[in-house]
Amino acid sequence: MTQFLSLLLNGISLGAIYALIALGFVIIFKASEVVSFTHGSLLLLGAYSIARLSEPLGFFLGAVVGVAITALAALAIERLIINRLRGAPVISLAIVTIGVDIILLTELIRRIGSDILNVPHPWGGGSFRIGDVGISQNRLIATIVAGVLIALFFAAFKYSSWGVSMRASAEDGETAALMGIRLGRVSALAWVVAGALAGVAALFLVGSPTPGVSPTVYTVALRAFPAAILGGLDSTGGALVGGLLIGMAESFAAGYQDQLLFLGRGFGDVVPYIVMIAVLLVRPSGLFGTKELTRV
Amino acid sequence: MKLGKSSRGAVALAAVVVAAASGCSTKAPESSGGGGAAADVQTDVGIEGTTIKLGVLTDLTGVFAALGKDITNANTLFWKDNKVCDTYDVELDVQDTGYVPQQGVQLYSGMKDSIVAMQQTIGSPINTALAPEYEADSIVNFPSAWSKTLTEIPGTGVVGATYDVEIANGYDYLFKEGLLKEGDTVGHIYFEGEYGANGLAGTQAVAKEKNLEVIEAQIKSTDQDMSAQITQFKAAGVNLIALTVAPGQLASVATVAESQGLDVPILGSNPVFAPGLLQGPAANWLKTHLYVASPVSSFDANPDLLKKYEEAYPDATPSLGVVVGTGMSTIMKQVLDAACENGDLTRAGVVSAFNDLKEVDTGGLVVPIRGYELGKSPSLESFILQPADVPGGAKVLEQAFEGEFAAKIAG
Repeated sequence: MTQFLSLLLNGISLGAIYALIALGFVIIFKASEVVSFTHGSLLLLGAYSIARLSEPLGFFLGAVVGVAITALAALAIERLIINRLRGAPVISLAIVTIGVDIILLTELIRRIGSDILNVPHPWGGGSFRIGDVGISQNRLIATIVAGVLIALFFAAFKYSSWGVSMRASAEDGETAALMGIRLGRVSALAWVVAGALAGVAALFLVGSPTPGVSPTVYTVALRAFPAAILGGLDSTGGALVGGLLIGMAESFAAGYQDQLLFLGRGFGDVVPYIVMIAVLLVRPSGLFGTKELTRV
Repeated sequence: MKLGKSSRGAVALAAVVVAAASGCSTKAPESSGGGGAAADVQTDVGIEGTTIKLGVLTDLTGVFAALGKDITNANTLFWKDNKVCDTYDVELDVQDTGYVPQQGVQLYSGMKDSIVAMQQTIGSPINTALAPEYEADSIVNFPSAWSKTLTEIPGTGVVGATYDVEIANGYDYLFKEGLLKEGDTVGHIYFEGEYGANGLAGTQAVAKEKNLEVIEAQIKSTDQDMSAQITQFKAAGVNLIALTVAPGQLASVATVAESQGLDVPILGSNPVFAPGLLQGPAANWLKTHLYVASPVSSFDANPDLLKKYEEAYPDATPSLGVVVGTGMSTIMKQVLDAACENGDLTRAGVVSAFNDLKEVDTGGLVVPIRGYELGKSPSLESFILQPADVPGGAKVLEQAFEGEFAAKIAG
């Protein structure tokens, strides 16, 4: 039972981080109809900036500036590339984001080298325990922060004028533009929010129980992708549920590796994708995605 | 095609340069008849006058950049102070593969006509990719990896015991110190691929001898969070965590084990440790729980090397890669010295000297090498290191020794 609860807690905390990243995918998709593959490098940029800036600026200021840098980088990508390609086929835009991702990633990996850069989290490697079940303080704080941010986002999405604009432009871009909604501004803000969420996710991803900043941080984005897809790429609530589902599935698959041996070694790595495929087979638009209606 | 005035001038200039260059190259035959001992030495590729050229395919910009820099700097520093046969200077042709095999293959084809042998090739994938070419070109090469498959490439000199023998020596130390006993349970986390498989093979061999129960957890090199694996190990009540992974995963294992109160020793293959870990939150746990089986000694035991290195590269934070690099250059010197004494510094002569190498002593930097035989671990010995607040980040707990399982596993 202890093992089950530990794995569950670990899965939820991991899922909360995935949800932050997946939410970024969803916001960008809703605002600019681009499936953004830049999140891996944005995550790494956030982690790298925070690690480098924590020393001269101190942890808290370093973290704030690091998150801001990630948000600005996302804005720059939107303004300099995506916005100028408006009207291009969706698939081309997706490929463009892969190109941007590779360029940014290569430069970051070159800078990081084989070092492990440590982020001096004030809570360090400490843990929080309830009986025999323990979770690292970093992950506990991550779960709380992710919960607060996601709640704030949902509130803003529902009640702020930006949220209304975004929902309107996602529903029907042309009509929204005719109603005076500036699509460019909505899209830019969406990228900024997605970048900032990736920065926050990076802040916790490089703390206990994972090591500091290494180039492999970017692969986490690849796991958050199935979370966004299975939740429904245009559903913010779906991103949250998808993130949690993937996090828990991954934690259980790795923790019960021996019992799942008949499926082969390394099964835990493919779990996010198996869950995604299984969900899509039953619900092609994802758990909460909008169904495509075609009148004939 | 019409050429403008300036273009014609450029072509003429290029022709002069080419002519001058080819004129220089005709002097090459003189080179094999340099002064002293060199006069009677036969040479073919890669020696001009009294300069021997060796290739280095390292990683200066990829994932192993820090390690690559340390090993390469150590190679360079060694050859600055040493000559082959007291006659030949050694010049290194250093190329950066960025840890990309394709890049490595291309760079090798660019350098292969000007080198006698390879001082260093970093990374199992690149060594494996180049194996057929090294064999065809009669190249002696020193990899900075310890997989058993590398011992099957002719001319390739693994610098110490292979991973299976190495970790088995680690087990031997733990048994001797009473940190592990017969019938215990071991959780082994390992990378998929040759490195992990070879380390796991060592654990399995020891488990058979000592009746250990082994819980295997295979991961990818990109997996960073070891929470689930350690939770599983804790539930199974493991007495030891064995690791054939990279430093990142070690850091995660240590922090999770500490937070879950899994107070058992951690045994690692040599690549698991990096001095940078001692700046992270896992530092204290590592200093008391980690035992690393290693083919090289630490700076603690080689203060002169550290001093020299720090003088030459004042900005660097030296890792044990420096010891590996100096060790592999020391072995290369012995090979080239022997070839020179045999009067044959051709590639074939160097390969033959390499094959005849027996009982190599590097002055305590690397474990004693018994010789290079295809498919066999070049050494049966390992050092046991533990992280500590000393230069290089590790102290020697046990000098090079041969554990009771080594001979059987090494073949």
